[in-house]
Formats: sequence, structure tokens, C-alpha cells
Amino acid sequence: MIDEPIGRWSAAETINRGVKEAPALKSGFGKTLSFALVGAGGRVAVPVLLQQAIDRGFRAGRVDVGMVTVLASIGLAVVVLATVCQRIAVRRLGYRSEEALYGLRIRLFEHIHRLSIADHNEERKGSLVARVTSDVETLAQFFSWGALAWLLDGTVMVLVASVMIAYDWMLAVVAFVVAAPLALVLQRVQSYLVAAYERARVDNAEVLTNVSEVVSGAETLRAYGAGQRYAGVAKGASHRRSNSNIRAGTIGAFLFPSGEVFGVLTVSAVVIVGLLRGPSGGLTAGALIGFIFLTYRFLEPIAEFTEVLDQTQTAVAGLRRVLGVLEIPTGPPESKHPVALPMGRLGIDIEHVTFTYPSRGDDDSAPVLIDVSAQIPAGQQVAMVGETGSGKTTLGRLVARLADPSAGIVKIGGVPLTTVANDELRSRLVVVPQEPFLFEGSIAANLSFARPALSMEEILAAIDELDLGDWLDALPDGLQTEVGQRGSQLSAGERQLVALVRASLVDPDVLVLDEATSSVDALTEVRLTRALDKLAQGRTTIAIAHRLSTAARADRVLVLEHGRLVQDGSHAELVQRDGPYARMYEAWVSATT
Amino acid sequence: MAVVPPAQSHGGSFRQAARLLRILLGHHKRLFFTAVAGAAVFATCTVLSSVVLGKIADDLIVPRFENGSVARGKVALVLGTLIFIGLIRACGVVVRRTWAGRTSWRITESLTARVIDRIVAQPVPWHRRQSTGDLITRAGVDAEAATAVLGPLPYASSVVVLLVLSCTWMLIVDPVLGAAATAVFPVLLTLNVVYQRRVNHHFSTAQVELGNLSAAVHESFEGVHVVKAFGAERRETERLAVIAYRLRAARVETVRLRSVFEALLDGVPNVVNVLLLVGGAYRVRSGAMTVGDLLSFIYLFTLMVLPLRLIGYALSELPHSQAGWARLEQLLDEPLEADPALVLTRGPTNDVDIRDVWATHDAEREVLRGVTAHVSAGRTVAVVGATGAGKTTLLHLIAGLIPSSSGAITVPQGGTAIVFQEPFLLAGTVRENVTFGQHYSDDAVSDALAAAEASFVLELPDGLDTMVGERGVGLSGGQRQRIALARALVRAPAALLLDDTTSALDPATEAKVLSNLRQVLGETTVIAVASRPSTIALADDVLYLVDGAVVAHGTHDVLIESNEHYRQLMRAFEHDRESLDESAASDTSPDDAWSAS
Repeated sequence: MIDEPIGRWSAAETINRGVKEAPALKSGFGKTLSFALVGAGGRVAVPVLLQQAIDRGFRAGRVDVGMVTVLASIGLAVVVLATVCQRIAVRRLGYRSEEALYGLRIRLFEHIHRLSIADHNEERKGSLVARVTSDVETLAQFFSWGALAWLLDGTVMVLVASVMIAYDWMLAVVAFVVAAPLALVLQRVQSYLVAAYERARVDNAEVLTNVSEVVSGAETLRAYGAGQRYAGVAKGASHRRSNSNIRAGTIGAFLFPSGEVFGVLTVSAVVIVGLLRGPSGGLTAGALIGFIFLTYRFLEPIAEFTEVLDQTQTAVAGLRRVLGVLEIPTGPPESKHPVALPMGRLGIDIEHVTFTYPSRGDDDSAPVLIDVSAQIPAGQQVAMVGETGSGKTTLGRLVARLADPSAGIVKIGGVPLTTVANDELRSRLVVVPQEPFLFEGSIAANLSFARPALSMEEILAAIDELDLGDWLDALPDGLQTEVGQRGSQLSAGERQLVALVRASLVDPDVLVLDEATSSVDALTEVRLTRALDKLAQGRTTIAIAHRLSTAARADRVLVLEHGRLVQDGSHAELVQRDGPYARMYEAWVSATT
Repeated sequence: MAVVPPAQSHGGSFRQAARLLRILLGHHKRLFFTAVAGAAVFATCTVLSSVVLGKIADDLIVPRFENGSVARGKVALVLGTLIFIGLIRACGVVVRRTWAGRTSWRITESLTARVIDRIVAQPVPWHRRQSTGDLITRAGVDAEAATAVLGPLPYASSVVVLLVLSCTWMLIVDPVLGAAATAVFPVLLTLNVVYQRRVNHHFSTAQVELGNLSAAVHESFEGVHVVKAFGAERRETERLAVIAYRLRAARVETVRLRSVFEALLDGVPNVVNVLLLVGGAYRVRSGAMTVGDLLSFIYLFTLMVLPLRLIGYALSELPHSQAGWARLEQLLDEPLEADPALVLTRGPTNDVDIRDVWATHDAEREVLRGVTAHVSAGRTVAVVGATGAGKTTLLHLIAGLIPSSSGAITVPQGGTAIVFQEPFLLAGTVRENVTFGQHYSDDAVSDALAAAEASFVLELPDGLDTMVGERGVGLSGGQRQRIALARALVRAPAALLLDDTTSALDPATEAKVLSNLRQVLGETTVIAVASRPSTIALADDVLYLVDGAVVAHGTHDVLIESNEHYRQLMRAFEHDRESLDESAASDTSPDDAWSAS
């Protein structure tokens, strides 16, 4: 599983690797930190100024306005400088993190596209999308708040604590000791809070599920008079969600007030110790007053820090998942010394091919293909048949080099697939998938996906070539017709037509067809048959057949059973011969009569 | 995410905001005002705590360091007050936050409930005009957005108390310096509001770009086969990079604004504090105020920063809440449409009678044109026709889901049960999906499942308690279809309506299901949309529809004999089988003939 192997990395290791993947984070960080430190000076400036002013300007009831003005001028300069530096630090951090996230998104996206098709199975699709979107977003949120808090609050706390110790180490110890339990209290509250918000998150998902059922099942619920009942279920879930959110909010309400309570306690302790010691210990009135202000400033960020710590953990977990994906080796590697394919038609040689899906867990790692061999001469039309799970789809994918066999070799035009340059392979061999996927946009845009440089004339010529001119004319906006999300505005058959034209635009020598199972209306069926005939003409064609009628029309049928090639011959021969094909044919004929 | 509308004229937006609050608070005023009261306590204690800080300087520290001593009682009194006020202030915060959360969640809950009730109350034709995602958004995101302003509102309202109290106190202590300090608050407030407005704009842009990015990533991974088949990985990465760059640009804009604001928010009070110190030095020298008073002024300023920030935040939430509420209001104000089931006539027998029924789609295209048919109790009728002939519409009319534009339909008193083309399963147990909350014994449920050839669930470890749907076991289309069929069968309806229900099953299973139906149904009338010749042949009668009109009504055999179009349609349905027979007969393997599917 994607999320597993990387669970072992420690937080430090994860961050280390993350910085390696996104070097923008590290570059110039020292500078950013320096700016932040000077920026934090603004928070220290006022307490220090107060101390100086009180000790030098307000002595014994006599006010030295000139002195105060001089000190204030210095203070003003420090404050302005600090403000400018803080701005620079915030901006630097923001820019660098956005640059890093941008790079990370692209790096991930690219990597995921290069993964083997075996890693792109249905169960994983959602989590792969989540890696590029929500996990990177977790990092983005961290950088916009958590990282900023670390930088600003962290530098402020360090600076304030240093100044406190410099003023009077004894008072500083008093302040730290009295305030220390706050950290424990906050940690405790925080842990309750995390659990409470987790509960709220689960309840929220529950509401979403229930509401979407009431909405998407509206017709069924109405037909069975169950609408009220399930509206009640959804409202109940919504009530529970309110309860858990209110509970989480109540716990959260104690975070900042605990800081407040510890604040007054700590200040009181500092004042008492300060008064007890008095001027004898070298302590001044100004220092004590400045110290009170510093104490407040020191405690201010603590409550925020506990929330930041939690967010940091979430971000590290997100980063760990992101890095985990980058650890998955990419799919068929590009050959370092590619061999050019011969001109003209290409045959396919499948030699002792065995394949095991690498990612399906331990219990299900049985090979999908076992020692399959077949020689397909150039121009032959081959149909592969077999039950679901027989391995025919996988074999098709191996021929198209969407994955490499675990053992054995697949050759195209006599050249092993592993030594063919990817770009050349894609211009000589095209796969038409079972459920052709269309991108949102116009038909023209989907067609030029095959070769972006094509002119409209070339596209129209290809459509005519496949006898689909009448179909195109019947579309509301011709080539500019919008296909909708995943091509949903077109029928399943029309999507297949687009996929066929798209394949023909590449003008490949080898076609791998994953036959569709969905039914299609009669007119489209005729068009599809015609277009496919034209497309297959003169090309080596390997069809992953789901219908025996397809097999019957092929030159040759390969029958697969449990990953093994069990029969090989023409439809006519195999029907006569006792074996799985004849049995399949029997069952099928009787079922459809 | 909705883009924040541009700020409206002040009078209008204030009235609108007031109206929104009145509506939202409705029955939850007590919760809200408890939160506001907590906020007021917090504000009062904030001002008091800075007064006490001044007292610590004036009454404790200065005497101790200048006169050498201070009375213990005095120390206890001042620090006791400090701690007491701190505790009260903390309580104020707890009350404010807790009740603010209660207010917004309870109101969200009632809004969600109203939306759900409304959704359920509207009949099927209304639902067909809505988008599923949109309705879910209204019940969820919009209901939460509508109340979003209530969260920060009590805190923001405490700023008013805070401003009034602190300005009054400062003016009393020293009118001159107080007036100067007071003048700074509007500046800080404006800074906050301006920042929130501007950053919100960039924030919304970034949200939109993030949505675009997610959609693009989703689509690209979904189409990974195509991308690989055409070697388009690099092009896809470039496409995504453009979108990701736009997101980055929007975020960088936010950062740019934020960096200025964060720095100013820290910087301005600091600058004011320094200036106060100089001004205060003059005032202390002239005896107008004490050092402690000056410290109180300074401390108060640091305490004001966060609440001022909240006012900007609350104001920035207001447009979101207004947009959210507007969308809810639109849904809630839509008139309730009539239930089409109410106009059906209920007959005493299990006969289904359709008399000159016309129906339109989207109120323009006629889908059914004067359909008349009578189905006697216990008969099975197959509704046959090409795509768009009106088969499904006819079934939905009989089920009372959609209205006809004219004509009369009589259905059995004993009720109808329809099984849809696309089965709908709840995220729940198999049992619940069959009973839909009605009381049926486990035996009845098991029998219905058996008749629907769905006994496979009984063999699963959890049997009837097996979870299906989201997070449950994955079922094939055919398996889902059979569970949906069992749901209809367990109700022993007087009329059973099947909309191509068995099409997702393989022919052998379909045949079994159909023969089971004949055994268990008895007097139940069955009207089934069908497209497989083998299924159609099993029906007693065929109702043949062409372009919304009944062309023929009779047995399959008679129709095959008498109707040329019907014969052609059957041939189209059988196309696949025939093409096989042809090629099997001709012994030569066609070189270029490829049957597509």
C-alpha cells in the first residue's frame, strides 16, 4: 500500500527528505531567520524602552522629558526597523514555501503519471489524487500559519526569554517555573481537542453521506415512501454533528483562558519576588515593570504554539505520504540506448511472459500471467478471449508496454519493448481503452490530444477516412461540441467513436483494442463497426475481446485461462475442437437464443 | 467557493446584515446573547486589567523602589484584584467561545433540517431539474456559510464595549493624551477592515484556482490510460504546471498583502506605544497623570490588537454568510410542487389502466402521445421500443413519480413498486436496503432475496448485516440490481414495474430471475421495460411503443409476424448473435471485418 512503507520515517527524517525534494525551503532560510529575529526585536523594544525610560527619565518624581524623547527616538527607530524586517521575513517565508509547494505539486504529478499502470488501479486512484491535492494542501496550510508561527513566535520567545534572563535571572526563573505547568495544561487540552475534532470530522462526513443519499436517491426514496424516514436519519446525523462540534468548541474555549490565568499568576509571582528583593539586589523599578511586560509577551504565543504543534504533526504526516508516493518506482523505465523500430508493418512476439501485480498486497500476489508465448505476424488480427481474471487485459497492457512483464520478453518488430524509445513506441502502437476516457473540452481538443500539432483539415480528413462524416454533421457544434466531464455529454458509443478517431490520428502500425462491454444503440453500433474495420485495415491488431462475435471475426483467437494460454487457433478450428473455447461458445449460444 | 461580491453601499449592506442576523438568530437569541454577555465581561475585564497594571506600578513598585517599603495588605489587595480580574476575564472568554459555537452550530443544524425537509418534500419532477451536487452543497456548505458570521460576531461585538470603555477611561484619566490615543483606534480598525476585504479577494481567487487544480489532477489521473497511450505525460505535466502556477500566483499575492499587514499590526501599536511614552512624559511632568496611568495606556494598546483584528474578520465573513443564506432562501422559498401520485386513480383490482395519456419532457417535447393500454391483473407485459420511445416515462407515470399532461391512469389499491434502471443502494446493511425501514421479518427478506437471485449475500459472513454501498462490500451492477429487485418483491406489490431491471444480469441469471418472478408473484401485475429478445419472449404481452405512441399491443409471436418495424427492432437487439452466426457459417476468416461493440 502507498501509505505503508514510509510510516517508519521519523519526523526529522521526513522533514529532511522533504527539504531535499523541495530545495526552495532551505535556500536562504538562514537569512529569513535573521530577519525574523530582528523583527522580533519590535516586541522586545517597548518593554526595554519602558525600563530605560522609567529608570532614567522618571526618577523620583522628576521627569526628564529630553531623556525620554532621546530614548523614544531610539525605540522608534528599532520598532520601525523591526516592522520592516518582520515584513521581509514573512514575505520570504511565504514566497519560498509557495515556490516549494509549486515544485512539489509538479514533481508529484509528473511522478504519478510515470508510475506503472499497475499502480493506477481503482483503489488507488482516489489516494493518488489526494496526494497531489489535499496532502500538499495540508502543507500549504501549515506554511501559511504554522510555519509562520514557528518563525515569528519562536524568535519572539527566544528573544524575550534571553532579555528576561539578562535583566534578572532570578525573576526569569520564577516566571518560567510558575508558567511551566501551562505547557502541560495546554498539551492536555490539546489532546482532548484533537480527539474531539476527529469525532466532529467523522460526524461531518456522516452528514454528507446521509444528505447525499437523500438527494441522489430521491426518486427511489419517493417511490418507496421512505423520504421522511431518511430525512430523519440525515437530520439526526446533523444533530450529532452539532453536538460534537459544540463539544470540540467548548474544549477549545479553555485554551486561551488558561494562558490568561497563568499570565496573571506568573505576573503576580514576579511582582511579589521583585518587591521582596527590592532595589538591594540591583533590581530597578523600570526593570521590574519592563519584566512584567516581557512576561506577558513571553506567554502570549504559548497557547498558539500548542495548536501549531498539532498542525505541524498533521503537516509532517501529509509530507510523509507525499514522499511515500515519490518513493514508488516509476513504471517501465525509458531505455538509455533506444533501438529504432524497423519501417513498415510490425509483428509482435510474446516470449515466456509471466506477470505478477506488485501492489496488490501479500495474500493476492499470485501471477496474473504464467509463461505465455505467442508470435503474431505483422498485419494479423488477433482476439484474446477468456473469463474475467484470465489475464487477457493484462497481456494487452504488456504488449502496449503500460507495464513490463515480471519475466519474459515482449518484442515489437523484433525489438524488445524495453529498448524502444517511449515516444517512438507511442507513435507506432496505440491502445484504445475499454471505456475511452475523454477530457472535458471540445471533441477537437480531445482529438488533437493524440497529436497537438494537427490542423482542423487533417482531423476532418481522419474522420472522413473512418466514414464518420455523417456522425460529425449530426453533432450540434460539429468538432467544437463540448463533451462534458469525462465525455458525459456523449453516449458511450460516441465516446468510443472519438477514441477511434483519436487512435487513427496517430496512424499506428499496431493497435491494441480493449473491447467495450457496454451496449450501444444500433446506429452507433453500425458506425463503430465500420470505423473499426477501416482503422484495423492493414494494421497488426490485438483485441481484448469480451464478445465471442469479435473473436469469430478475427484471424486468430488466443484463449486464456487463469493466466495461461490454453488454446490458439482460428474461431472455426477452436469451435470444432473440444476445449474451453467450444464450451464458452456453447454457453453463449444457448444463453442468447 | 463563492467569489466575494464587491462591497455594497453602506446603508444597504448594513440593513441587509441586520436582516440576515434577525433571520438567523430566530429561535436561538438566548444562546447568542449569552455569548455576547460573555464577550462584554471579557471586554470590561480587559480594560480593568490594564488599570490594575497601572496600580501595580503606582502603588507597589514605585513606592517600594523609591520609598523603600510597601504595605503587605496593599500588595495582597492589588495582586488579588489582578488575579480575580484575570479569572473573571478567562470565564468571560470561555462563555463567549462556548456559546458562540453553540449559536452557530444550532442555527446551522436548523437550517440544514429545513433544507433537508424541503428537498424531501419536493416531488420527482422538481428533483430532475436540480443538480445533485448543488443540493448537497446547499444542505451542507451553504448552511455552514450562512452561519459563519455568527462565530466571530460576539467577539467582534465585544470590541464595541472595549472601545467605549477604554476611550472613556482614557479620556477621564487624561483628556489630552486620551484623545490622542483614542484617535488611533479608527486607524487600526480601518487597517483591519481594508486588509480583510483585500486579502479576501485574493483568497477567493486562490480557492478557485485550487478547485481548478484538483479538477485537473483528478481528470488527468482518471485518464491516465489515454495519457500513457499517447505518450502525453510531459504535455499533461505542462498543462498542470500552468494551473499550479496560477494558484501559486494567487497565493503569493495573499502572502504579499499578509506580510505588510502582519508587520503593521505588530508595528503600529508599537509605534503608538513609543509616541504615548513621549506624550506621557510631558503629561506626567505636568502632573496630569501618573506613571502607572501611562503604563495602563500602553498595556491597553497591546491588548486591543487582537479584538480589532476580529472585527475585520467578522466583516469579511459577512458576504460569505449573505451569499450562503441567499442560496438557502432561494431553495426554501420555492413553492412546493404537487405530488403526481395524488392524481392517480386507485382501482380495486390489480389491473393497470392507462387512458389517452400524454406526457411532455421539459414541458416542450412530447414523450408520450395518447397512450392507451389495459393490463389485466396477474399479467406480465413487456414494454418494448427503441431508445427515446417513452418506455421509462410510461413506467414512471404509472409509479406516480411524474405527472401526465392529460389522460387518466388507474393503479391497484394494493400499491405499485418500481425497480429503476440504475439501482440505488444506501450505505447500510443489506437488510436495511431491502426493508427501507419498514418492518419485514428476516425470513421475508431472505425469501425476497432468493427470488431476486440475490441469495449470494446470505453466504457472506455477515449475511443480512453485510454493509453495502459506500464503505461496504463492493457489488457488481448486477448484484446491486438484484438487491433493488428484492426491495420491491418483499413488499408484495399489487403491480411491479421493472425498468430494464434485468439488463445488467447475464442471460442465464436473468432467465432464472424471470422464472422466479412468475412463481412468487401470483396475482401481481408486471409491467417490464425490456430489450433482450429472450426476456421479451417470456412476457404474456408486448406493448410496442414508437415515438411515444402505442403501435402494437399483442403477443411477441404475433408482433413478429405482423409488424415489420418490430421485426427490425428485434433484429437490432439480436444483432450480436446474428453476426456470429454469419461468420461461423462462412468458413473463411474475414481479413478486415471486425465486429465492434
